[in-house]
Amino acid sequence: MSAIILKDIRLKEYDLENMGLLKKLREEHSSAKPEVCIERSRYITLYLRDMSSSDDPIEIRYAKAVNHFLSNKGSFFFDDNLLAGTTTSKPLGAPVYPELTGMAIWPELDTISTRPQNPQILSREDADDLNFDIFPYWMERNVLEYTRKKYNDPKCIRLFQQFVFFLASKAGTISHTVPNYKVAFEKGVEYIIEEAASREARIKNNGNLTGENKEKLEFYQAVQIAMKGVIAYAQNLSKKAAELAKTEKDPARKENYLKMAGVCARVPAKPARTFREAINSLWIVQVAIHAENINMAMSPGRLDQILYKYYKEDIDKGTLTVKEAIELIGCLWLKLTDNTNLVPETAEELFGGAGTVPAVTIGGVDEDGEDAVNDLTYIMLRVTELLKTKDPSMNARYHYEKNTDGYRDRVAGVIVSTRAVPAFHNDVADIKTLENQGTKLEHARDYAIIGCVELASAGRSYDASSSIMFNLVSTLELTLYNGKRPVTGDDQIGPETGDPGQFNSFEDFREAFKTQLKWLIGEAIQLNEYFGRVHQEILPTPLLSSFLEGTMEKGKDLIFGGALYNSSGATHIGFADTVDSLNAIEKAVFIDKKYTFAEIIDALKVNFKGHDKLHSYLVYKTPKYGTEDPIAVKNSQNLIRFLYEFYQGHINYRGGRYRPGYWTMTNHAGQGRLSGALPNGRKANKVFASGITPVSQAANNISACLKSIGGLDNLCIPGGEALNLKYPNIEGEEDIKKFGQAVEAYFRYGGLHVQFNIMSYETLLDARQNPEKYPELLVRVSGYSAYFNDLNEAMKDEIITRTAYDVKSGRAVPFPESDRSMLGFE
Amino acid sequence: MLGKILNFFFFRGFRVKQTKKKFLNCLESELAEEFLQLLLNLMSLVFFLHKDFRRNIKDFNGRYLFRSKDNKITVAAIFKNNRMTVLEKAIDNTNVTVIFKDQRALMKFILSPKPDILGSILKQDVTLDGNLNYLSKFAYMAKHLQLMVSGGI
Repeated sequence: MSAIILKDIRLKEYDLENMGLLKKLREEHSSAKPEVCIERSRYITLYLRDMSSSDDPIEIRYAKAVNHFLSNKGSFFFDDNLLAGTTTSKPLGAPVYPELTGMAIWPELDTISTRPQNPQILSREDADDLNFDIFPYWMERNVLEYTRKKYNDPKCIRLFQQFVFFLASKAGTISHTVPNYKVAFEKGVEYIIEEAASREARIKNNGNLTGENKEKLEFYQAVQIAMKGVIAYAQNLSKKAAELAKTEKDPARKENYLKMAGVCARVPAKPARTFREAINSLWIVQVAIHAENINMAMSPGRLDQILYKYYKEDIDKGTLTVKEAIELIGCLWLKLTDNTNLVPETAEELFGGAGTVPAVTIGGVDEDGEDAVNDLTYIMLRVTELLKTKDPSMNARYHYEKNTDGYRDRVAGVIVSTRAVPAFHNDVADIKTLENQGTKLEHARDYAIIGCVELASAGRSYDASSSIMFNLVSTLELTLYNGKRPVTGDDQIGPETGDPGQFNSFEDFREAFKTQLKWLIGEAIQLNEYFGRVHQEILPTPLLSSFLEGTMEKGKDLIFGGALYNSSGATHIGFADTVDSLNAIEKAVFIDKKYTFAEIIDALKVNFKGHDKLHSYLVYKTPKYGTEDPIAVKNSQNLIRFLYEFYQGHINYRGGRYRPGYWTMTNHAGQGRLSGALPNGRKANKVFASGITPVSQAANNISACLKSIGGLDNLCIPGGEALNLKYPNIEGEEDIKKFGQAVEAYFRYGGLHVQFNIMSYETLLDARQNPEKYPELLVRVSGYSAYFNDLNEAMKDEIITRTAYDVKSGRAVPFPESDRSMLGFE
Repeated sequence: MLGKILNFFFFRGFRVKQTKKKFLNCLESELAEEFLQLLLNLMSLVFFLHKDFRRNIKDFNGRYLFRSKDNKITVAAIFKNNRMTVLEKAIDNTNVTVIFKDQRALMKFILSPKPDILGSILKQDVTLDGNLNYLSKFAYMAKHLQLMVSGGI
């Protein structure tokens, strides 16, 4: 039976003009200024420093710290949102995680409120608390320092701290996953406590309390402690809402407080009975997870699937209307964006603009492989269309054999309407890719997106998908300069693979390149392993572990491999620039023999100054990734395959494999600014192409572009890919249909993901020139959404220069002559 | 005795004024010569005279070494027993060692116009050896001092 009962899947009759609450909440959200929130860091630090017992095993000690915070966390009701619970003590808060990355703002405590780029307000009192009380405790204890000391300042940490080779975000803790929220609202947190208690009792009855049994016992005890903290927070919310209701004069607000008091008295402790209870249960769990873990891509997953049962029951009973459902989903969307990352100023300049990227996934097929699109899918699309907020990161799964054209075109229509969201994901390819990683078919079908574009079997796999962000261009440069990089001067960084001028064939060069890749990836993996071991030792995660399948059965925290499936993700920056540089070297030096290696390197060293002819040849006469040129196709496929095989040969500290991916957030802009000129003609300090996207202006025909990228072996990209495309304009039903068909064609070629910006070069140039005219211009970056004005200049340049294609002809639209200096090769 | 104490404080106060002036001039200058010495001397004086600022080093033990890449400048700062000592020589057992291209680069790294630790590392103007958190604490104290003497707070 069809799950579509809505008469109009576009839900046009509901808009912000007749959804007063959402309109008001959205306006308030838009005007909220980010503030640093130290509440969590204060409670956690003071507990660990002054109240905890060093006799407690770390699993229990940390669970108690989280319980302490959740039990004391303030109950804030900043607005008329229908859901209770806030991530921080501020309407838009940036929580501090001093054990992870929070210490980076120490030098800026006096200036963070007033910096020009994305200031974050911090009171004098809170700055003093951080400076005098909180940060000193962590000076010898945060993850990075603990790791450095434990492993005797290893080379991999030194490389990481140079920032231009790879970033290892284990310093950013356990994050990037899709928890199993369903267990909270279907069974209740009390059920988790009971289950842990019963397993604890079984072990105790068994009598053997040593070794593995002891660790299991501690885990089950820790789960109960952490879960009691979740319930305490909900109960406090309930009490506060009831108190507020007593004094509230406005009848609507009073009623809302009373409803929230009732909801929080029940969930997440007990199973949800209504749509509203289910949503609030999920939200409180999300808040609780952030009490323990950093706010980076903790992704709610397939909300149209896991909430549908409650929606349907309430609609059938007549206790919920479509309008009310839209309001509740809208409230959840706004709650999911109530927090932001704490970012130091330089990082903001180089890598700024990213949100916390909680990814919501809709559509696709169910565990039986059948069309899973339902009314709630369309409600979520409508909410996304109405609110146009950067978070949650919206992802639409599309199965071209099972989902309808109507659904495909509706998603396309929302992209046109918002100009940016959601992203499209290919069910056929994604499911095969996960199956190839050992995920059971029904679990692979139930995948959801983590953060940007990464794949997870929802609630079952712990993928730490952002463990490594690897700069491919750095290894290309190490090969060109015999183990050195221009940005790091005379330091011998990598192995000496020889003077490229001495290579007799392209294969010789490729082998040297592979040697550098293997060495540097090995260092990045080593560091990730160190961070993982350190987390096991000092920062376990019993609360989050309770929301992943497998942990209870195994009696293991997820950091020890408790989840049903395990992996670590490694994404790559500068893919297209690297491939095009390989193409250029092969063609120029070894096929055409037009220039020697030495001539090219001489030109690179002076950023092509005085080498105009050579530069022009490299830019216009060498093969480009994103076209069907056989050299470009071969080099891109070889690189993808090589990286896949190399990573998959490594098993992580949790027993899972490393998964390569190709999405870059804003790192392609930041890293591009720090790299020298490249053999593809890209000049020094220009941005790299994003994700798996071809270099801007290199691929002039969208069909060939989609065919070549879709032709990459998607089984070799289990860490996900971000293809960023741009159309200047799409108008009318026919264009939208054409747009949807282009997506389908790409998916039939094999592409995993695609996302769009529907805006012209001229609009974006104008937005850069006149930011006040575009206060909330939403753009897709490389896997997530951001407001254009929040991005740094390099990132703005990259989005402006991305190739725009005409939807009718499929040809690239010429870049404005007056602004060509922005292009990477100019 | 009282006269001696008053003289002592008067002399310190005078030195603070002088050092503060030189320090502010240095921040505006192109080469930032003597930046490090001025910063450490001023910091040391202000710790002595300013109770609130001294709170930063209460119970704090830290050993810092600042060295130019050409080895022409080597200065150590030791924080112990709620006091700061500046030495113009190398020390061992440091918590962090900062190696800088020149004084201007060091100034940019720690202070002006904003602490640019990441940017300086990326540009290889400054390299670090040791516990980054110690440097973060020092950079905070330096920035706070700069704002105090320039009237920013």
